[in-house]
Amino acid sequence: MNNLTTVGKKIPKRDAPPKATGSAIYIQDLKVPGMLYGKILYSKYPHARIKGLDTSRAEKLPGVRAVVTASDMPANFRIGVMKDNPPLKAGKVLSIRDEIAAVAAISAEIAEEAVSLIDVEYEELPGIFDPLEAMKEGAPLVHEEAKSNVLKMPWKLVCGDVEAAKKESAYIVEDTFSTPWVTHCCLGTSGCVAQFDTNNNLTMYSNTQIPSLAQNDYIDALSALGLKNRRVRVVQCVIGGGFGSKLDTYAYEYIAILLAMRTRKPVKIIFSREEEFFATSPRQCTITKISQGCDKEGRLTFREMEMILDNGAYTSWGATTPSVMMLPISSLYKVPNIKYIAKCVYTNNTYSQAMRGYGNPQATFAIESSLDQLAEKAGIDPYELRLKNANEPGEITPQRFKITSCGMKECIDEVVKRLDWKGKKGKGGNRGVGMASLIHVGGGARVYKSDGCGTIIKMDDFGKVDVFTGASEIGQGSDTIIAQIVAEVLGISIDDVNVINNDTDICPWDVGVHASRTTFVAGNAALGAAKKIKEQVLEVAAKLLEEDPASLDIKNGVVFSVKNSEKTTPLGKALRKVHYTLGGKMLMAEYFYDPANENFDKEFKGNLSVSYAYGAHGVEVEVDKETGQVKILNYIAAHDVGKAINPLLLEGQIYGGGLQGIGYALGEKMIYEKGYLKNGNFLDYKMPTVKDVPYVQPVIVESDEKDGPFGAKGIGEPGLVPTAPAIANAVYDAVGVRIKDLPITPEKVLKALKEKEKGA
Amino acid sequence: MKKELTFTLNGEAITAEVDPKWTLLYLLREVLDLTGTKEGCGYGECGACTVIIDGRAVNSCLFPVMEAEGRSITTIEGIGLKDGSMHPLQTAFIDEGAVQCGFCTPGMIMSAKALLDANDKPTEEEIKDAIEGNLCRCTGYVKILDAIKSAAGGR
Amino acid sequence: MTGYEYYKPKTIEEAIKLMGSLEGARYIAGGTDVMVLLRQKKIAPRCMISLRNIADLTRIDIKDGLRVGSAVTHSAIEENEHIKKRYSALNDATTHLGSRQIRNVATIGGNICNAAPSADTACPLLVLDARAIIAGPKGAREVDLDDFFLGPGSTALEKDEIVKEFVMPPFDENTGSAYIKHTRRQAMDLPILGVAARITISVKDESEVRCRDMFCTIDSISNILSRLKEEGLKCEDARIAMGVVAPRPIRAKKAEAALKGKIVSPELFEEIGNIAAGEAQPRDSIRGEAWYRSEMIRVLTKRALIKAIDRVIRPDEAIYPERLW
Ligand SMILES: Cc1cc2nc3c(=O)[nH]c(=O)nc-3n(C[C@H](O)[C@H](O)[C@H](O)COP(=O)(O)OP(=O)(O)OC[C@H]3O[C@@H](n4cnc5c(N)ncnc54)[C@H](O)[C@@H]3O)c2cc1C
Ligand code: FES
Ligand code: FES
Repeated sequence: MNNLTTVGKKIPKRDAPPKATGSAIYIQDLKVPGMLYGKILYSKYPHARIKGLDTSRAEKLPGVRAVVTASDMPANFRIGVMKDNPPLKAGKVLSIRDEIAAVAAISAEIAEEAVSLIDVEYEELPGIFDPLEAMKEGAPLVHEEAKSNVLKMPWKLVCGDVEAAKKESAYIVEDTFSTPWVTHCCLGTSGCVAQFDTNNNLTMYSNTQIPSLAQNDYIDALSALGLKNRRVRVVQCVIGGGFGSKLDTYAYEYIAILLAMRTRKPVKIIFSREEEFFATSPRQCTITKISQGCDKEGRLTFREMEMILDNGAYTSWGATTPSVMMLPISSLYKVPNIKYIAKCVYTNNTYSQAMRGYGNPQATFAIESSLDQLAEKAGIDPYELRLKNANEPGEITPQRFKITSCGMKECIDEVVKRLDWKGKKGKGGNRGVGMASLIHVGGGARVYKSDGCGTIIKMDDFGKVDVFTGASEIGQGSDTIIAQIVAEVLGISIDDVNVINNDTDICPWDVGVHASRTTFVAGNAALGAAKKIKEQVLEVAAKLLEEDPASLDIKNGVVFSVKNSEKTTPLGKALRKVHYTLGGKMLMAEYFYDPANENFDKEFKGNLSVSYAYGAHGVEVEVDKETGQVKILNYIAAHDVGKAINPLLLEGQIYGGGLQGIGYALGEKMIYEKGYLKNGNFLDYKMPTVKDVPYVQPVIVESDEKDGPFGAKGIGEPGLVPTAPAIANAVYDAVGVRIKDLPITPEKVLKALKEKEKGA
Repeated sequence: MKKELTFTLNGEAITAEVDPKWTLLYLLREVLDLTGTKEGCGYGECGACTVIIDGRAVNSCLFPVMEAEGRSITTIEGIGLKDGSMHPLQTAFIDEGAVQCGFCTPGMIMSAKALLDANDKPTEEEIKDAIEGNLCRCTGYVKILDAIKSAAGGR
Repeated sequence: MTGYEYYKPKTIEEAIKLMGSLEGARYIAGGTDVMVLLRQKKIAPRCMISLRNIADLTRIDIKDGLRVGSAVTHSAIEENEHIKKRYSALNDATTHLGSRQIRNVATIGGNICNAAPSADTACPLLVLDARAIIAGPKGAREVDLDDFFLGPGSTALEKDEIVKEFVMPPFDENTGSAYIKHTRRQAMDLPILGVAARITISVKDESEVRCRDMFCTIDSISNILSRLKEEGLKCEDARIAMGVVAPRPIRAKKAEAALKGKIVSPELFEEIGNIAAGEAQPRDSIRGEAWYRSEMIRVLTKRALIKAIDRVIRPDEAIYPERLW
């Protein structure tokens, strides 16, 4: 493993040159001949009855090719995780993003004008916007056919006996924490182009993160639309950011399909930035009641959490985030007794989706803030409390996670050292330090029945390789990682590896880019396929060189014998030999990797991932006591990554994730007032700018995961998981106030300081 | 009512027929097919549409096309070197890992180029000033700063 | 979107004449407000009259005070060393407005004529005693900037009129000014509120202020103020203006009066902050809560005054240290 030539190197991203020169084609840039432009009419009210709908003025506008409404969609066709969302709404609208009608026209401008000519008569209904209100007896129902606003998803995890543990605990803390709606802010907005061929087969140009699953969704839609047994091809353009936003299919995609079917022309729908803010699905807001306890020595005894999640008006993957929240809840630190209950509640707000971290940031904010409270109560340094309870390799957690490699202690130690924790903790002067740790899936996550990814490899006459993978490139660098792994195994230059990843017609199956799984799962799939083809190559070369295949290897594109250095042949020559020999064959290998992880059982237990990623963040802040502003002076992000296949990309994930976490901690919040989004633009939604970047030190801890490709585990999401609690803890250390509701705004800090003053 | 405009685009004089209500971004992307310049918001808030006009970085999404007349406009497609190789900033962005999804990249590079053309030894603060109007959601900006520093140093 | 015609006059007279003769016309300078309103469909002009190409509007003149043409961009102001030194508050505002790209095209005239309560250059111009020189079909006139703002988006401009330039008196070495923009982000942000201050203090030679060096330390501000009090530093004249705390940018005239002729001290500055806060009528909005804005007036008024004093006492200090408050 020490003689790696490609893996472990800082290799620039392969898709960077077209992106840096402006030649990469994003969905925004795609033009298909004859293409029409689609535009959607959304509801004016968060909750209303549609009493009248008149599209005649829009239809008459020159240049309009089709106007569609709910009556053009199959009556019972629903999308989403709970199939509760009709792509076009009739009867009632449940949120301001409800799609009522759509237009296809010869230009975007005409489409927009036509949408403004559609007349809708509404009867406004009182809405319900607060999940706590929505849970009350007699609250108006968001979905009238359901008996309650609480979703039928009984998230509940019980391990051990929390009540008994409470009695035995020396110290117990209890508090409530909350987090806001925040959104992905992909710089490239959502969009697609739907195109039918003469046989009614569909090609969908898309920027989905889940090509194979999306293909399935579209096939269902075509069936519902009366086009049974058609082919669907999903072609991904270059994707302008994902972060979980593209893990589901959305109404606009089905609307594009319908419009394309109607007009027999390709139809493109691209979201404006306004739409991207109000009509895509963000990370939901949560309210968490948490209680934790420890014994006299500071060993954690139990953790009890009750969580309420605002699901919004419809159901997407946001409603399933409690499954991943269970990860830190049951297994961040050693806690023998666990109880967790989560309820997702329908409201007339937008509806929620997964976002980087998949619920983990919300849960970890409560856990790690509460842990500092417990440390204070028990009179233990928060760092020591963490170290004492840190996870270790070989552990089996209460939720039955098998911890293989675990660099948590190393990460905590790095933080303490680099932050000068002991020198800075509790020193006052409006400065303070705080830390928080994380656990996340690092070896896939069996959330579907399969957690697999396929890879096909073929080699040409000259030793060049094509790798067909199911994994999508969303900017994270999966292409490069896969190319590195294949180049390493085959002993060739990375420049000789071509990765094809964007077309379901040619690429094998994959469940999608989520759960930080791509390096691990797609990496292992590529590794498997590369090993297989290598065997075939060596067999051929063995004949040529009259050697035992077992004693052959490849380096720099040359096959050589490890026994006899005289015996060599260029890879290309061996390959040509195969092709140009009578009875020759074609060199190709396929591999499907499905990690040996488990679906949760009925009690939500089971080894979700084959390995777990760990990390710890530490931060030093300074608080301006007059204004309440928090300034980050130093930020340490230590991550156990198994093995850094490409440190350049890895650091990119840590910096990028970290800044998203800082945004979550200090500024970002979608302001919803009575169902209306009030800050749907980049000026008022406070995503960090370059001037908001503090000094961040990424620290890479390598724990060498035995199941990972070359020892690697996933790192896509962890960067933002512990950020908010680390900052909240640091603010507390600096000025003695604890902010329990994100984001930590100057107003909240100042108000808390004033209350503290009054109290004192 | 279409109007004829003459201006310099990426070093070459061009004449284009435009509608006065267009923005420069619309002309570039939709008419001239120069799609390297991106639209991330259309409101001057993200910088994805940044081009250089007479030496200064400008949001093309807010720039009335009629003001292009007689000016010299440079887009991401026009900054490569005469020998066909990439501009040092492009190479630095690639090598330093400053590109992830890449949607902000052309705008970032144009803002950085406007800076380096005027100031070949910028301080970190000056670099931040130059790209403060360019949002990036992927990279956390650190590698972008590294790339600009490296391109400046390498000159 | 219905279209519009675009006109590019070369002189002020021509622009005014066009405005008088065209139906539904609107002036456009940098367009960073106009193009946004257009896209939001809040306006639908039939004609645009560009002020970008009128040479008379793009000049900065530093003889006998300061004259800044209305079509001067924020970048041009930011880059002007004289303004940075003698009209520092204006430099503060233009360096923190929008982004580099916005400042490269957006103009001071557009910022003032758009008359948003949050317009960043408004408070500095108010404390720098600026007057707007207006050209119109009936000839030229001058309006004190304090009389220029009528309400949100509403100004003293009459039909077809153009702001030609802003004129400010000269200020001597004993006068310093500053503008503090309070934001959530460090760039690309509109102010939660903004406070500008100008102060003239009684020093003959700045080196005789003994606590001079305290400014670049992390010594607390109340300590510095106490020292200034010991040294008998007197405020000869002062202006304070505040943005986003009323329907239009306003002067805190009572606070100004209370400051004039007094010896600088911590107690005085507390009082001035309170008076200024009393002169505002902040409201709750998504950008900030009223109570917080009131609170911040107190804090920022004090800080802006200190920053202005610092600029008198340490005139050669190019960069104001990021100090602990
Ligand atoms: C992303 C973004 C960020 C921004 N950030 C800030 C900020 O931080 N602080 C801030 O204060 N502003 C900000 N703005 C608003 C805007 O940039 C400023 O107000 C700018 O100074 C306006 O100048 P302009 O030349 O672009 O005005 P224009 O849009 O051209 O004109 C504005 C208005 O003034 C009128 N007008 C212009 N010049 C004259 C004249 N000489 N005589 C008569 N009428 C005239 C126009 O008819 C129009 O009604 C921001 C805008 C954007 C898009
Ligand atoms: S598209 Fe022009 S700034 Fe966002
Ligand atoms: S690389 Fe994705 S926004 Fe910058």
